Formats: sequence, structure tokens, C-alpha cells
Amino acid sequence: MNENLASELPWLYAGLAAYALATVFAVKGAWQAQVAAPQTLLGNERVVFLGALAGVLLLVTAIAERWVRIGHGPFVSLFELIMSQLCSLGIVYTIAYWRLPMLRPSAVIVLPAMWILGLWILFLDPVASPYPPTYHNKWLWAHVGFGKFFLAFSLVGTGLAGVLLLRAHSRLQGWFRAMPDDMQVDALAWRFMLLAFIFHSLMLIAGAVWAQDAWGRYWAWDALETSSFLNWLLLGAAIHVRTTYRVAPRHAALAIIVIFVFAFLTYFGAPFYSEAAHKGVI
Amino acid sequence: MSSPRLTLFGMAMLAVGAALSYDNPAGTSVWVLVVPMGFLSLNLLAAVIHNPRIHQRGGLLVFHLCLLGIVLLAAFGRLTRLDAHTELVEGTAFDKDNLLDVRQGPLHRTGLGRIEFVQGPYTVDYAPGMVRGLTHSEVLIPSAHGWRHLDVGDDRPLVMNGYRFYTTFNKGFAVVLSWLPAGGGNSIRGTVNMPAYPLYDFRQANRWQPREGEEIRFWLELETGLTDQHAWTLAPSKAQAELIVKSGEQRVVLGPGQHVRLAGGVLTFERLSSWMGYKIFYDPTINWLFFTAIIGVFGLASHFWQKLRQPDWQPTAKRDRIVESLSGRTVT
Repeated sequence: MNENLASELPWLYAGLAAYALATVFAVKGAWQAQVAAPQTLLGNERVVFLGALAGVLLLVTAIAERWVRIGHGPFVSLFELIMSQLCSLGIVYTIAYWRLPMLRPSAVIVLPAMWILGLWILFLDPVASPYPPTYHNKWLWAHVGFGKFFLAFSLVGTGLAGVLLLRAHSRLQGWFRAMPDDMQVDALAWRFMLLAFIFHSLMLIAGAVWAQDAWGRYWAWDALETSSFLNWLLLGAAIHVRTTYRVAPRHAALAIIVIFVFAFLTYFGAPFYSEAAHKGVI
Repeated sequence: MSSPRLTLFGMAMLAVGAALSYDNPAGTSVWVLVVPMGFLSLNLLAAVIHNPRIHQRGGLLVFHLCLLGIVLLAAFGRLTRLDAHTELVEGTAFDKDNLLDVRQGPLHRTGLGRIEFVQGPYTVDYAPGMVRGLTHSEVLIPSAHGWRHLDVGDDRPLVMNGYRFYTTFNKGFAVVLSWLPAGGGNSIRGTVNMPAYPLYDFRQANRWQPREGEEIRFWLELETGLTDQHAWTLAPSKAQAELIVKSGEQRVVLGPGQHVRLAGGVLTFERLSSWMGYKIFYDPTINWLFFTAIIGVFGLASHFWQKLRQPDWQPTAKRDRIVESLSGRTVT
């Protein structure tokens, strides 16, 4: 393919550069938090926020540019899925960062985690993807939208879970000393996971309606459906355990990380492992 | 029975059952899912009755009852479902006795006899590289004002009497033939379906054994404009064709309207036609499943909303009294 024709790439690279700026200042802020007074970090937080916001806006532009170029939304190829995930994860985390000051130090975990996708997309071909006939369906939008909220809320919860695990190490405690105690961070993390559970449920419902229209069955245990259901079950079981038994915040944090890793593999592994219908191009 | 430990055990069993079904439900026993779901349903029912943490919280109660409802509806759906395929030649009516690959639940009571529609022409768009695009299949259904034309295809099934007819990639050409037996008798007319097109464009062949004479073999030579270099539309009504007929040592090429005298009678190639393969799906529970699931999620959301409004996670740390929000307002 002729990469010169992929007009969304400059916007994508600019968006990644903005995320990189936010990441650098998040790490710098965490480092400074060990010795500096909390109020002196406000300027740093503004740069993180503005960097993330600029990244989101530039990625929205990149998606729009690609949409115009190839004639359909970012629903088919891995390049498109990662680009839209970078954008949606950025939107939700930036809003959380803005509205909930107590979770801002978690940016030092969340932003580098997003760089897994940021680096991955650099190695993918932006070639135009064919739009499958079964994707001309409004339920696809609902399914994808709910899925993005699920993953984004899981990411915010994962950032907070990462804080709980990292500050168990004496050397890293200073990074997060501006944050409340473990019990409060744990409570906030699980509230995001509860939101994630609701959106995961909605994603499964919308996906089933779409599958019924697209392939004449609402559920067929294909690779992505099964992984997604297992992820839902895992999250449901974790919520059950946490509400039924006394679970130490760090153990609960570990569960969140496992759930997020499973979700990540479901999103970016299963559809490209399987040749089943859910892969799209049939 | 309502023990949370049993709930977790049931969830673990269900996870194992789902993992065993992964990408291979047809090759896995349905019991790996039925047993844990049955177990979890009993556990859930006991919990709803005995556990005040569930039955005293409206939203949570609604969610769990809906989960139970989903399991029961899914089970009933499996018992009453029908999955099948059919191939319909242009101009012919749906025939309930002409189904393929039928799989149905033991409680399915067929209503296919009340379904009436006639297959019309279809088109299928292809992007460069032979990537299939939108299918437009015209069907005619009876109405109070005569026949009504409907365009179905891909994610727009024909829904009649609860049965859903989906177009599939499986479609192709058919030849309309008539046969006049050499020994006298009535002429018969019928169609021979060729293999799926363009999937098997290289072997558009089939055979037919008349009651009299030798088996007749057919090859169809098509001119459809097929190309993988550019966008292309498969439109059988615009295709040109010649039919190669072979019977014994006799071989002849026929155009539409031409005939040939064979050992057992006279064969006429009347015209080229097309057929469309449909997947048929019936499950009386799908709308109920949808509404039950939505109500369940709303119940859960309502329960979580109560929790989210509790202030126990609101920060009390010293820092938050002095941090200004990024919009410039002071957070207190």
C-alpha cells in the first residue's frame, strides 16, 4: 500500500505525541511527588490533562480523516480498532482525571498502559479495510460503544488497582502519597469496575441483537463471544467475592488487573485468532 | 443451597463449560453448559428466597430474577427452536418440504406451512478482490393489495410468522429445463441448480437422470462480468449463458430457448435463472430474552446508582482541600 495516501497518519502521530507529553509529565509528577508539596504539582497536572485532551482531539481528527478516506468507521481492522480504543480510553480517562482529582496520580500507571496500544499501532498497516455487509447495522454502534465504555472504566479501575499494588513497595510509596488510604482507593476502583460490569452487560446484549441480525443467531460461542462471556463471568465472580467476603485491597487490586488483562486479550487477541464469523469479513 | 461459595463453584463450572465450548459448540456436549446453568439457577433461586441482601434490595432482586428468567427463556428457546437452510429459485414459492440441514428442538411445532412468499431476482455487490458487499434479494409476499415487493439481505431478514429468513453467501445460477419423453407422455418442467457462484465459478456443473434414457450432464458457461480487479455486481438477471449438455456420446451446446433430441426425449434449455440460499431461524423467545436482559441491567444499574451515591469513597485526604480543579474552580 502507498502510505502517502494514509492521510490520517499525521494526526495519529500528533495525537500519540500529545499522549507522550502527558505520559512524561505524569511520570515527572510522580517522581516529584516524593519530595514536593502536593500544591506544587498542580502545574504538572495541568500539562498531563492538556496533553491527554490534545491527544484525544487529535485522535478524533485522525479517525474522522480516515473515515472520510475509506468511507466507513473504525470497526474492522486492528489498526482501526486500536486507533479508536486509544481515543475512547483517552476520553474517559481524561474526564475522570479532570473530575476526580484524587485519582490523578494513577496517570503514571494508566498512560504507560495505553502506550501498549500506542506502540502497537505504529507497526500496523493503515491499509483501507473492506466493510462487511453485516456491519451495516445500528446495533453494531451500540455494541462497540458499550464495549469502549467497559474497557475504559476497567482501565481507570486498573490504574487505581496499580496504585494499590505499587505503593506496597516502600520505594514507590512516595509517588502516591497524595492519594487517600488503601480502603478509599479500593472503593473507588471497584466503583469503576461496577460501571464496567454494567457496560459489559450492555455490550453483550447489543452484540447478541447485532449477531441475530447479522448472522441469524444471537449466540454461537465463537471465540470472541466466549472470551467476552468468560470476562463477564470473571468480573461478576470478583464482584461477588468482594461483596461477600473480606478481601484485602491488594488482593482485590490483583483481581482487577487480571480482569483487565483478560479484557485486553479478548479485545485485541480473540477476534484475530479466530476465523469465526465475528472476525467480520465473511 | 444459597451459599455464596456454591455460587462461585457454579460460576467456575460455567466458565469451564464455556471454555470447552470455545469456538466448537457443535463438537461439545450441551451438558457442560446445562449442568452449571441448572446448578446456578437453583443456587440463585435459593439465594433470592433466603438471602435478605438480595430480596431486600429492589434493583439487585430485579437483576437476579432477570438472570433466572434469561436461563429459563434460553432453555425454552433451545427446546422450541428451528435452524435450517433452503434454496429458492427465482420465481418459485417457499416450500416447507424443501429444507436442508434441519436442526430443531423437540418441542418445535412447525408453522412453516403458513409461510408464503416467492423468490424474486437478487444482486450482490463485490468490492475489488472479490470481497462480498451488500446483498439485495427481492421477495414477493402476499398482502391485501396483491403481491408486495420486499428487499431483504445481510442484516435485513424476511420475518414471517416468527421465522426469520436470512440471505447467505450460498447463491448461484439455475437452468430452467423442460423434458418431453420420447415415448410420449406429458412434458415436464423443472430447474437444475448449479453450485454456488462465484465461489465455484470454475465448476458450474450438475447432472440429472430422466426416467427414460441416460443420465444427462450439464456445464454452464457464464458471462457475468466477474472480475477481482474492480468493484463488481453479481446480477443474474443480466448474465448471459450457454448450456453444454452431454448424454452418452452426444455433446451439444444450447442457448436459451434451444432444444436437443437425446436418447430418451427432447430437452429444452428454456432460460437461465438464479437461486438464493436462505438460513431459516426460529426461536420464540428472542424478544423476551432481549427485554429481560435490558430490565436486568437496569435493575443492576439502579442498585449500583445507590452505591455510587454513597460518599464513602469521597476523598478526605488533606490534598483535596487545596487542589483546584482543572477548570479553575476550587474543589472543597
